[in-house]
Amino acid sequence: MIRTLLEHLQLIFEKTVFVYGVTLLIIYACLALFSFYSVRRFLRKESYTDYKVIVGSELAPGVSVIAPAFNEGLTIISNVRSLLTFDYPKYEVIIINDGSTDDTLEKVIKEFSLVKIDFAFDIKIVSKPIRGIYKSTDDAYAKLVIVDKENGKSKADATNAGINIASFPYFLCTDVDCILHEQTLQKLIRPIMEEENARVIATGATLRMANSCEIDKGVIIKVKAPRPLLARFQELEYIRSFVLGKMGWSQINCVPNVSGGLGMFDKEIAIKAGGYDPASFGEDMELLMRMNRYVHDNKIKAAVRYIPVTLCWTEGPTSLKVFMRQRTRWGRGLFQLMVTHRKMLFNPRYGRVGMIMFPYNFLFELMAPFVESVGIIYYILLAVFGLANWPYAIILLIFVYSFAIMISTLAVLWDQLTFQYYKTWTDVARIAVMVFVEMILYHPLIVVFALRGYFFHIFNRKHSWGNMQRRGFKPSSAASTTAAT
Amino acid sequence: MWKDLADLLFQAYEQYSLLPLFIEIALAFIFLAILSTLIAYGAILHKRYRAYVYEKRMAFISPKIEDMITEQVLLNPNLGYDIPLESIEFDPNALGDKIYRKPFVRQMLIDTLIQYRKNFRGEVGELLRKLYIDMGLDKDSFAKMKTLRWERKIKAVVELTQMDIPISDVTILPLTNSGIPALRAAARNAYIQLSKNEPFKFFDIATEPLLPWDQLEMFKIITTTKDIAIPNFSRWVSYSTNKSIVSFCLKLIAHYDQQSTIPAVMELLSNKDHYFRADAINCLGKLSAEVAEDKLVKIYNNQPLNCQIEILKALGRIASGKHLEFLKSEFLYSSNFDIRMNAARSIIRHNTQNSRLMVEELMEMTHEENQLIIKHCLNPLIKY
Amino acid sequence: MPNILVIEDDDIMLKAIRNILGKDGYVVITAKDGKEAFEKLENADYEVVVTDLMMPYANGLEVVSRLRSDETKRNVGIIVISSVGNEETITEAFRLGADDYLKKPIMAGELLIRIRKLLSNKNSTSQLVTKKK
Repeated sequence: MIRTLLEHLQLIFEKTVFVYGVTLLIIYACLALFSFYSVRRFLRKESYTDYKVIVGSELAPGVSVIAPAFNEGLTIISNVRSLLTFDYPKYEVIIINDGSTDDTLEKVIKEFSLVKIDFAFDIKIVSKPIRGIYKSTDDAYAKLVIVDKENGKSKADATNAGINIASFPYFLCTDVDCILHEQTLQKLIRPIMEEENARVIATGATLRMANSCEIDKGVIIKVKAPRPLLARFQELEYIRSFVLGKMGWSQINCVPNVSGGLGMFDKEIAIKAGGYDPASFGEDMELLMRMNRYVHDNKIKAAVRYIPVTLCWTEGPTSLKVFMRQRTRWGRGLFQLMVTHRKMLFNPRYGRVGMIMFPYNFLFELMAPFVESVGIIYYILLAVFGLANWPYAIILLIFVYSFAIMISTLAVLWDQLTFQYYKTWTDVARIAVMVFVEMILYHPLIVVFALRGYFFHIFNRKHSWGNMQRRGFKPSSAASTTAAT
Repeated sequence: MWKDLADLLFQAYEQYSLLPLFIEIALAFIFLAILSTLIAYGAILHKRYRAYVYEKRMAFISPKIEDMITEQVLLNPNLGYDIPLESIEFDPNALGDKIYRKPFVRQMLIDTLIQYRKNFRGEVGELLRKLYIDMGLDKDSFAKMKTLRWERKIKAVVELTQMDIPISDVTILPLTNSGIPALRAAARNAYIQLSKNEPFKFFDIATEPLLPWDQLEMFKIITTTKDIAIPNFSRWVSYSTNKSIVSFCLKLIAHYDQQSTIPAVMELLSNKDHYFRADAINCLGKLSAEVAEDKLVKIYNNQPLNCQIEILKALGRIASGKHLEFLKSEFLYSSNFDIRMNAARSIIRHNTQNSRLMVEELMEMTHEENQLIIKHCLNPLIKY
Repeated sequence: MPNILVIEDDDIMLKAIRNILGKDGYVVITAKDGKEAFEKLENADYEVVVTDLMMPYANGLEVVSRLRSDETKRNVGIIVISSVGNEETITEAFRLGADDYLKKPIMAGELLIRIRKLLSNKNSTSQLVTKKK
């Protein structure tokens, strides 16, 4: 009697997991198709678009570039300089010195002949107090604003301060240590300006690892695939997450996250949604979720769009320790977000966000690490008790493995279709090799670190990583968890 | 031998059909996945190889093209002496090179010529155009217009527009109402630039929105094309039902400072859409429409915030001085920061004896935050 | 012949200007970004600098600003060539001390005339200075 019951349970469990897995794979296959379509559409458009028109136009909307900096004394000058060289006619650069304890502020003041000025602004989003606002006496740097504020221990708090003093209707959120392409503003503003039936509230583009690129004073000289193994895995993950994942979601207007490393936002909506939440561990995704919520509550037809070109290069963590902190933080952020906004789950009031995007993230991003670990433990138990059907188990394993390889390979292909960032064959090969070992070497790490994040959140371990929480954003809170198979 | 193979396959199939369903599905997926992976790698190889070949060719051909254009156009000895263009001849040997017969090279030639045209107008620009025609490249562009692929059509239209080659109305007009937004935009631009009699005809019939991105190019074409007859845009402001066309016209009115349109623009102040009203108020300000001032102040209290701010801005632009007291009271008593900020800016913008006295007076009588606002607005280092 | 520094990040335009100016006999030195421009400004003296506004490493306005704040280079003629045509930018360029502003597409003839004019102005002012001495 008990034996048959157990057998039944086993069967139900196995079937559920199988259905879960197949559904996930089908979703990925659909994403691959959607993204292929939207990448192709983008490429067609690029073939006849002349971006010089917007550079020369007086109708170009203004954009405020907001970049928080914390103890960046070593590189701050060249990074600020590089932010001042966008090909765009109307923008300002707001650098937020987030209570640095080094000479970041002094260096900038000296280099750009800054003076402290009386600056009136409205506190629309609460942030830690601002100590002073600086502008340059040299007209050549008229676009530059430096905000000196007390340390708020989070990127969210610093960015909020920047949003308060931003004077243009759109803002670009980035990190001071990200290297942005000179065409970033013109390329990201375009989807906003050519959407016919909706208000585009946020746009984003691909991020990549800057680790092995040749960089000179904040300018990329040559793109190279990263050499360090960990960074190489991340590069592959980012390509998949952006070019395949987000481009796919963008096609059906279900983009879950515009990454904190690079994203352009509609300021009005961002402010009305309440700005970034300093208490969040995944503030970028959380803000977008609230913006989505706001537009639905107010019946504004809105869209979030992604473009497949790489506009931002960021240094990915190369030490396992830093990497673990980053991913634990992301895991925690996701868990926190799902709990905070749980009312949106399968809530038709929120349209696609409530019916597709949120459920997907809940079932296949949040739950995946659980399901995977339970599955593995289950197989181990079967093996220990000698109950495993080895041929079938192996077939299932090959099934998952081959599918994962296919998805990653397609991502690499889509990326090669958009723009060939790697100049040499060996660079492509470097990434292609990762496709085959990722499942074994990299993926388990992601799963474990995500679970660690959930665990910390459930038991509310606040100070477990002390100051490093602050540093958390430094190695880029970039690719979301999306498509981290 | 074939029979053996068939037998084998059949046996395999029999085995397969005996397996449980989920294993069957898994096996099917594995087969599919491996196949797609292989195809994907093939595609990557192919793509990279093609890019490699393309780059090789480019490296060989593009300096050749650039040198030819430099020789024939930029360094043309006849330039700079007011010689009529028609009588300037190119060196037939340089143009007749066999390489310029290949379609791939011809496309590159067109692209390069367009790049030069974006940098040079005047005599050099005209000579570039002549080169384009003399080499028969206009025929290439026209041929492209006949293809079915719309992105190639767009490319053709853009090329012809860039090179200022007239396209017959019969060809271009239907495209201005095409269902493909990008083609429509390109065709409209071409029509405005190339149609000599009635460049703005499609404003009357356009039902599709004129997207902000497309407005950029169109605005540029309207404002830079020589001998284009600029109509009085109030026509569309009053009668068009297409909002995006009206708001685009408002921008053009401001650009051309069409004072006579003021009454038509003022009509829009009673429009229901407040974004639209804000555009109209903005336009009135840029026109320095003194006649509109009283009306703007009168409707002020019934407007949403964005319109109120636009009204304050407009009063600063018009700056007749009649409503300084109004600005002052808004500055002193509004609870909204943005309103106070814009009121202060507009008072300062008057830049008259009265306004300067008022600023001084306000500095003394108001509270700290308002003083900060005034200092902010007076600071020449703050530009936006 | 007078030295002219041309700073421009668009390859085609850079070569084109070099050719056009070279044809009129000027000695043309080119720089394709801000970094190269500042290096070349350090190493030699120029009568006229023709600069783009948007390029890697530095902004054309910085070039103008640095030239004007440097005692030894204050008299260099500066012509800005840019596809940006909004009023604010043009005013900014003039306020910083640019002598001329040409919006792309430019007329080659106009560029030559403006350079000639700048050079002749300079000659006359330097003559004035010498006379005063």
